[in-house]
Amino acid sequence: MSIENSQSGWRSWMNSGEPWVWMNAAAVGISIVAVVGIVLLIAVRGLAHFWPADVITIQVETPSGVVRWSGEEIEREVVNLDQFRGASDSSNIDVELEQRLEGLTQVQRVLLKTGNRKATPPDFRWFFDHNIISTVELKDLMVVERSEWGNAYGQLAGIKVNGKHSNLENTSEEGLSALLAQQHKRSASLRKQLLALEDGELSDISYALERLRLDKRKLEIKYAAQPTELENRLVPLAAQEDALRQTYKGYEAQLRDLRQQLKRDSLELTAANGEAIHIEFIDIIQTWQPNAMSVTDKLGHYFRALGAFLTEDPREANTEGGIFPAIFGTVMMVLLMSALVTPFGVIAAVYLREYARQGTLVRIIRIAVNNLAGVPSIVYGVFGLGFFVYFLGGSIDELFFPQALPAPTFGTPGLLWASLTLALLTVPVVIVSTEEGLTRIPRSIREGSLALGATKAETLFKIVLPMASPSILTGVILAVARAAGEVAPLMLVGVVKLAPTLPMDGNFPFLHLDRKFMHLGFHIYDVGFQSPNVEAARPLVFATALLLVVIIIVLNLTAIMLRSRLEKRYKGVES
Amino acid sequence: MSDKATLNSTDSNQVAQQGAAAPSSLQTRDLSLFYGSNQALFDVNLDIPRNKATAFIGPSGCGKSTLLRCFNRMNDLIDDVSITGEILLDTQNIHADSVDVSQLRRKVGMVFQRPNPFPKSIYENVAYGMRLQGGSSKSIMDERVEWALRSAALWDEVKDRLKESALGLSGGQQQRLVIARSIAIQPSVLLLDEPASALDPISTLKIEELIHQLKNDYTIVIVTHNMQQAARVSDYTAFMYLGKLVEFSETDNVFTNPKEKQTEDYITGRYG
Repeated sequence: MSIENSQSGWRSWMNSGEPWVWMNAAAVGISIVAVVGIVLLIAVRGLAHFWPADVITIQVETPSGVVRWSGEEIEREVVNLDQFRGASDSSNIDVELEQRLEGLTQVQRVLLKTGNRKATPPDFRWFFDHNIISTVELKDLMVVERSEWGNAYGQLAGIKVNGKHSNLENTSEEGLSALLAQQHKRSASLRKQLLALEDGELSDISYALERLRLDKRKLEIKYAAQPTELENRLVPLAAQEDALRQTYKGYEAQLRDLRQQLKRDSLELTAANGEAIHIEFIDIIQTWQPNAMSVTDKLGHYFRALGAFLTEDPREANTEGGIFPAIFGTVMMVLLMSALVTPFGVIAAVYLREYARQGTLVRIIRIAVNNLAGVPSIVYGVFGLGFFVYFLGGSIDELFFPQALPAPTFGTPGLLWASLTLALLTVPVVIVSTEEGLTRIPRSIREGSLALGATKAETLFKIVLPMASPSILTGVILAVARAAGEVAPLMLVGVVKLAPTLPMDGNFPFLHLDRKFMHLGFHIYDVGFQSPNVEAARPLVFATALLLVVIIIVLNLTAIMLRSRLEKRYKGVES
Repeated sequence: MSDKATLNSTDSNQVAQQGAAAPSSLQTRDLSLFYGSNQALFDVNLDIPRNKATAFIGPSGCGKSTLLRCFNRMNDLIDDVSITGEILLDTQNIHADSVDVSQLRRKVGMVFQRPNPFPKSIYENVAYGMRLQGGSSKSIMDERVEWALRSAALWDEVKDRLKESALGLSGGQQQRLVIARSIAIQPSVLLLDEPASALDPISTLKIEELIHQLKNDYTIVIVTHNMQQAARVSDYTAFMYLGKLVEFSETDNVFTNPKEKQTEDYITGRYG
């Protein structure tokens, strides 16, 4: 018998197993390319938003004559003309253009962010390339980021300081920009005082007032039958309240004064169409002249903008400003969820594996636990709303917070219930991986401990659980990965579009589990699909998505690093 | 042959030393053990003398490990085990209600077939048993750890790396560490379940030397497959077959002049 290969080349190659290796490699390759591609796409589209793009000024032919617009170029696309010819809104295509386009089926158009939403809405406009007569970049074109109505674009025409009007006629260009810088400094310091007052003293006082109101209500409930007693007890509270209200009034006057000072001065821009735009300094967040900026300036501006996005509160129905409350809410919720799910899952797994008699019942429970992991998350949301919020929360309110009723304290969606719901959602993962870890610990190690006179519980806490900790952490990692990205159940049990306060602040008890919170996942949905200004919101959707991915990766990496350290410590133990 | 000669001389020496009757440390009275409905031990009656080494030999599955694990009630961990008869440790029934299993196991230490150090430092492994009893001051702990490691002939090898993981030790060192761990809580009996079966010959030799030293202070019960080992280290030998105690006598007698046919067959290598 010959030992030579009798099969043909193709057959022998197939039988060698080589093709499978190639197919596996291809599958892995495609997966990696897909993941990297998604992240890159999100990153590019999200991060590009913060770059101070050049502002162009165009002259456009319209039926009513030639018009000038300034704006940032957002995107270009080639469109089919037919869809516009038949459309009712064909204002962009006039007869003259129709003649020029004779015979063409496709045409290029460009989307400009023209801003100035207050004067000339909307702030995003499409222009056909054929209509554009000229395009220039004016060096002195200024972008003003406003706290309301979005960006304004125009040339600096003048500044009004305390009634005194400085404009290009009576002041040089340098003088004007120096004045502007001075004004920025002034309003920045005023704004700082304003914020400190609003977020500090004023919010503390209103919190204290609310607590006082609840205390009063508590007494009213307690001494409902003894009116004289009640009166006596209410007296000190009333005094306190008066004092608080007095200070409140003082602060309020300060606040009004600060606002007035901020409103005193204003900026005047000339828009591309020649219209004058007045902006009070109270509305101005920052100004820049992108066309005159060097690359270094732009980089500086870019990172400042990125920083503001990460650290500031959202404005304008979430389409502008930052997403700090959403980041904070997401991280808080995930941490709280982990703190709840870890002990719960570990205790359940320890009972199932170490104490329960292994039989049919335990097997059924195990199957049930595994199946729980497959229940759609929205079902958990409904359960959380029904059981945690209405039943548990309602009972807690009746027992401990009757003074606040009918306004609910815990009987309404909030951070605690959201964390609990997600903990319930992810507990099967922790149970399964903990159980796996427990089974992997060799019997001989347990016997070694028991033989030294340790009880079962001592063995569990000193030997078994530490050795199972890498597996427990694996479960927590999976739980975090699942919980951080979950949105559907959260919409029912605690997430809101805009939370007035963070779930953590300087007022006792510091961590407010009853408060509603913002969440990055829900923020993406809200900004992307519930926003009144889709074009303005789109880049924020990508930026927020990127941030969510980054946060999940960071949380996971932390846990993975912790796990690998633990694994290193326990490696080398064999059964 | 020369091997046997030396064995004889040392053994007879010890028998002479032992004199009249060594008091029993562990006794079993009509001990039977069932795994469910399967009987694994049949009416075992055995007196294990104090501060001597006693070896259990016999073919695989004869119940010698099962018997050994009865002495510190390790079989409690297995579901469906039932025991009849009595086991007495210093005349006290270890199955009495008043007996605390943890206390029993502190008095009756055990070393397993394969080294099973905890994934902790060498120091913590030895200190583990003491810490379970509440621990003591650091100086007393240090002293006791050193004493235990010296008793297990391991101190010189590990004294510079007490804080390192015990898992970095060789198999033989690990087994001696486990012995140190057991004697650190000063038991009166030490059960050894084939302690050298997973070790190389040099480590085996060290363990055997160790047993020789330890039997001055502890009652040692050792299960072994290796008849030479039994002959080398033990003063008394019990031969078990199919769950029954066939013969129990001084090691010398068992190996040179077995009373039972089965023992003789096993020793001469006819089966097992």
